[in-house]
Amino acid sequence: MLSYIIRKLMYSLLVLVGVIVMTFFIRPPGDPARVMLGQRADSASVAALRTKMGLDRPLPVQIGSYAWNLVTRLDMGRSIATDASVAETIAERFPATALLAGTSMAIATVVGIVLGLIASWKPNTWIDTTAMALSLTGISIPSFVVGLLFVILFGVTLEWFPNSGYVDRGAAYLVLPMITLAIRPMSVIARVTRSSLLDVLGQDYIRTARAKGLATTTVYLRHALRNALNPVVTTVSAWFAGLLAGTYFIEFVFNWPGIGLAAFNAIEKLDYPMIQGTVLFTAVVFVIVNIASDILYAFIDPKVRLQ
Amino acid sequence: MTADKRLRGDSPWQLAWRRLRKNVGAIIGMSIIAVMILMAVFAPLITPFEPTTSILEYAVKPAGFRGSILKKINPSNPETPTLIAVDSWHVDNDTVRWTDPVGTPYREHVSAMFGSGPGDWHDEPLFIMGTDRQGRDIYTRLVYGLRVSLSVGLISESIALMIGIMLGALAGFYRGWVDDVVMWGVNVVWAFPSILLVIAFSVMLGQGFWQTFIAIGVSSWVDIARIVRGQFFSIREQDYIEATRAFGFGSIRVVLRHMLPNAMGPIIVLGTAGFATAIIAEASLSFIGLGVQPPMPSWGQMIREGVGYVALGTNWEMTAFPCLAMALAVFAVNLFGDGLRDVFDPKTTQRS
Repeated sequence: MLSYIIRKLMYSLLVLVGVIVMTFFIRPPGDPARVMLGQRADSASVAALRTKMGLDRPLPVQIGSYAWNLVTRLDMGRSIATDASVAETIAERFPATALLAGTSMAIATVVGIVLGLIASWKPNTWIDTTAMALSLTGISIPSFVVGLLFVILFGVTLEWFPNSGYVDRGAAYLVLPMITLAIRPMSVIARVTRSSLLDVLGQDYIRTARAKGLATTTVYLRHALRNALNPVVTTVSAWFAGLLAGTYFIEFVFNWPGIGLAAFNAIEKLDYPMIQGTVLFTAVVFVIVNIASDILYAFIDPKVRLQ
Repeated sequence: MTADKRLRGDSPWQLAWRRLRKNVGAIIGMSIIAVMILMAVFAPLITPFEPTTSILEYAVKPAGFRGSILKKINPSNPETPTLIAVDSWHVDNDTVRWTDPVGTPYREHVSAMFGSGPGDWHDEPLFIMGTDRQGRDIYTRLVYGLRVSLSVGLISESIALMIGIMLGALAGFYRGWVDDVVMWGVNVVWAFPSILLVIAFSVMLGQGFWQTFIAIGVSSWVDIARIVRGQFFSIREQDYIEATRAFGFGSIRVVLRHMLPNAMGPIIVLGTAGFATAIIAEASLSFIGLGVQPPMPSWGQMIREGVGYVALGTNWEMTAFPCLAMALAVFAVNLFGDGLRDVFDPKTTQRS
């Protein structure tokens, strides 16, 4: 068990090395110093800035020092546009994004599993078809499009919910961005739950449970759902990083002051240290969530350890 | 005759087609895609304007707005006339007199007008979906935007398939350290949510038509590589692959002629899903200001232009129509893809 965990951790470190190197290369083509100073700057000041930013050093040294600053001091550089520390910006804005992503994921998981249950209850009937068509629609529409359609419908036309702003002005501000962000993972979870349940329901032990005369509800909830949830857990953990990426657009549409909004603004201005920081943050969260769920699995399911 | 046919059996592709034909969702999806392809190809025939034609006087008009325009000869380009929005106009001997929407009177000799008569130089075009901030017809731009979306789906997905199949085949065929290296790369790339990867590559490559295609393509090969690798792992164990080795076939021939065709089902399913994802990725990119650059129309850009009006609570059609168009396009592709999945899923395979 221990050796399995250590092996997994070492491999994740190896992946993180790759992630950091890749992040280093997220920068616009051309000379960053020239981009920062503008086309009219004289070559002497460009050269001076290059030295200051360390751009005159060989590439491996630059990558090394980027990784070193990152690992030892959590230093991700400073924003080109605002000169704010990237790491501090991310830390400041994390609570807003965590609130949005956390509540969305909770809703997506619960509603998604329920939808999947309903659909698999009577497969290939109109209930199933409707639930699956709904989830296919959810997958088909990009989150910012859903967000804008929601703003038009619920914010502007019906005026049910405020369409822009943070929860410090009231909990109602959370509703639209949260639902918007939840729709895609919810649709995916519903589909995974359905197919996984249909799989499990075909197994012999379900037939045995039914033959014992257990109520259909008991068979469903106690025997089938518990065994069908494994792929669902994988989906939820895999979607978490995707959800963080989704906040880039949702936070812009709803003017939600989280990491995503900072990233969106940085992308528009090609403010690459900020882009690197936010992208790296999301990737690291993904790797950590992934390794955590892997280890959790090893505890739950002995088959995993032996592979 | 019939007996002969039964003996020979159907090819897997004929079987697949027969099963696909029975899938209502797939047929609906396919029909919508077909209509969209036709619209994209024949865009100039079904749109009243060029995608870049702007009549500034008609900026931000609601859906269903009917304009009134005069066409004047454009000295620098005799093919396309200059369009002038008019409030009222009449011909007075050899002079055309008109007032513009603000009420300023103008006149011009008929010889300066486009075409040979009032029928040629006057038009009352209908802007079914309204106009954007620069007075361009939203419907026209939507149809031309379809060209961008469909080509992104096609070209980016081809790039992704090429990379994914190649790396997946390498890993699955040679295994060992080749597999380790490829899988390391896969896991690194996989750690970035796909849209962030697209954004990252787009920042690295710069903005533009081809850069966007490549950025999306090189971001979307991971799933394909994984599935091809998995398929190759199991196909390699089959007896017929053993047989090819007994014949002394070379590796490339075995992979291309005997292994790849047998892994095609899941690849096609993933490729279709990737087509939809690529359309979304391009729209997201141009929404954020990366991606295809103006004046080339793209749905993401059009949606972005309307956002400010949505916040104001006016002119929702500027955002709603491109949003709905994209939802429909992606829905159609996914519907088709779902049908394909049912067809190729071995769990549901049966002679039908």
